[in-house]
Amino acid sequence: MTRPAILVEHVDVRFRPFVDRKPTLRRSLANLRTRQVEEVVALDDVTFRVEKGEAFGVIGRNGAGKSTLLRVMARTLKPNTGRVVVNGRASTLLQLGVGFNPELSGARNIYLGGLSAGLRKAEVDEIFDDVVEYSGLGDAIHRPVKTYSSGMFSRLAFSVSMHLDPDILLLDEVLAVGDAEFREKSMQSMRDLLDRAGTIVFVSHALPQVADFCDRAMWLDAGRVRMIGEAKEVVDVYREYEKERRASAG
Amino acid sequence: MSSSSPASGAVGRVSRAREYLAELWRRREFAVALGLGNLKARNASTSLGLVWWVLNPLLLGAVYFLVFGIFFQRQEPLRFLVYLLSGMFPFHFTSQAMTGGANSIIQNAKLLANLRFPRLLLPISALVESLVGFVASLGVLMVILFIAGQLIPETFFTFRLAYLPLVVLIHLTFNLGLGALTARLAVPFRDLNNLIPYVNRIWLYVTPIIWPLSLLDGLSGPMRSLVQINPMYSIVGLYRSALLGTPFIGDQVVRALAWSALTVVVGVYLFVRQEGHMVRYL
Ligand SMILES: Nc1ncnc2c1ncn2[C@@H]1O[C@H](COP(=O)(O)OP(=O)(O)O)[C@@H](O)[C@H]1O
Ligand SMILES: [Mg+2]
Repeated sequence: MTRPAILVEHVDVRFRPFVDRKPTLRRSLANLRTRQVEEVVALDDVTFRVEKGEAFGVIGRNGAGKSTLLRVMARTLKPNTGRVVVNGRASTLLQLGVGFNPELSGARNIYLGGLSAGLRKAEVDEIFDDVVEYSGLGDAIHRPVKTYSSGMFSRLAFSVSMHLDPDILLLDEVLAVGDAEFREKSMQSMRDLLDRAGTIVFVSHALPQVADFCDRAMWLDAGRVRMIGEAKEVVDVYREYEKERRASAG
Repeated sequence: MSSSSPASGAVGRVSRAREYLAELWRRREFAVALGLGNLKARNASTSLGLVWWVLNPLLLGAVYFLVFGIFFQRQEPLRFLVYLLSGMFPFHFTSQAMTGGANSIIQNAKLLANLRFPRLLLPISALVESLVGFVASLGVLMVILFIAGQLIPETFFTFRLAYLPLVVLIHLTFNLGLGALTARLAVPFRDLNNLIPYVNRIWLYVTPIIWPLSLLDGLSGPMRSLVQINPMYSIVGLYRSALLGTPFIGDQVVRALAWSALTVVVGVYLFVRQEGHMVRYL
């Protein structure tokens, strides 16, 4: 068997919200006394692999653990137990425009985005013109990013990310970007990435997009893997399940 | 074959520390760009921008000058002013380093959650930002000192500017350790940000900035040692030697060096040791 792009084995992530999240002096003192902290299990024994050249979708309700899973794959969050192996240069584009400063111009943000992703300044110099060109922003590139529409912001952010030349792209609900034309352009870039044996993991609520674009998909439910399989199948089962749940609830 | 021997553990730690430093160095442009970007953004959003770096210690100095220099009728107000400002400006750098460090992780939560990089780059970028402000303010301070020097009789005022970069370097190292420490503490203790202004105020009062060094003569031996152990006592002393031409005191040089080495080692160690957990607190 060839090496997978991403291997996730028996991964657990647990948060202790009162200790882990925004603790204050008062809360810390309170915890010293009570010592009972309730754990949130964000991921529960998650195991799967993503092959090279594959587009892999992750779906599930809010709070299912999708973002947590992407952070584990980006290796910015260490799981409590389990193993994660990533083969390749993961461009950890979990959200668009990470590292951008809205007060600064688009041009300066190209540098900030590139440098924060690990490029050297000289390397950003080289891709700069292509990034501007691809984004289609023209002279607006010299305006502060806070003056951009959300579509313009996405175009710039996506353009920077694609020019980082990643092997693995991790996307957290960032695909419905820009106008129809730019969306088609970005989809084409991602298909090119897949053709070059790149890998895309793609969290989205846009179920038709997942069914359409992804080869396989995984359904996460309350931190557990409910189903892994062909993307269309998983989306269908998930949709059916959600419909029934809503029907029985209301 | 359960655990490795202590020797290989130590070797592993050394090589991991070297890797960390190498990665820090490789990503230095990122820290600088982030710091300068934040500075520029702040300049864009406040009308006076960088000027505040000069105004803050200057206005604070003016207040204390009015109270202690004029109101209490010190004999040589101009000399007192020079003494006061030459301490106030460096002190402002340290208080900014504390605040900047404490904010650096929380402000950049999104970067932390999304990207892998040595987390120390964040307090370093905050330090880059405050260093630019400090250097600008030092320029203004030197102009003020020069003018004051012209007005003061005798040759009271002689620059020893050649030493100034060295003094700034020692101070910068100290501030790096301090910033890493406050960054480390601010992640689990969000209240720290509310506490820092008070810590700063007390620190200012126990440092010979608004009161003259001669006050030390009235203290008992142990009390005097206590005042002198304050790192800012020695650091401010070095600035006065470089800027005002008072002689360098060997004791002060040694203490300032020791404090900056100790602070940077302890601060960075404590920061790096827990940087892998920071993302869970955001
Ligand atoms: N830093 C954190 N501290 C505490 N709980 C967290 C933290 N991050 C995520 N969680 C919890 O983990 C669960 C999964 O969250 P997430 O991965 O963001 O879900 P999704 O992206 O599928 O909506 C949620 O219950 C959320 O509240
Ligand atoms: Mg999410």
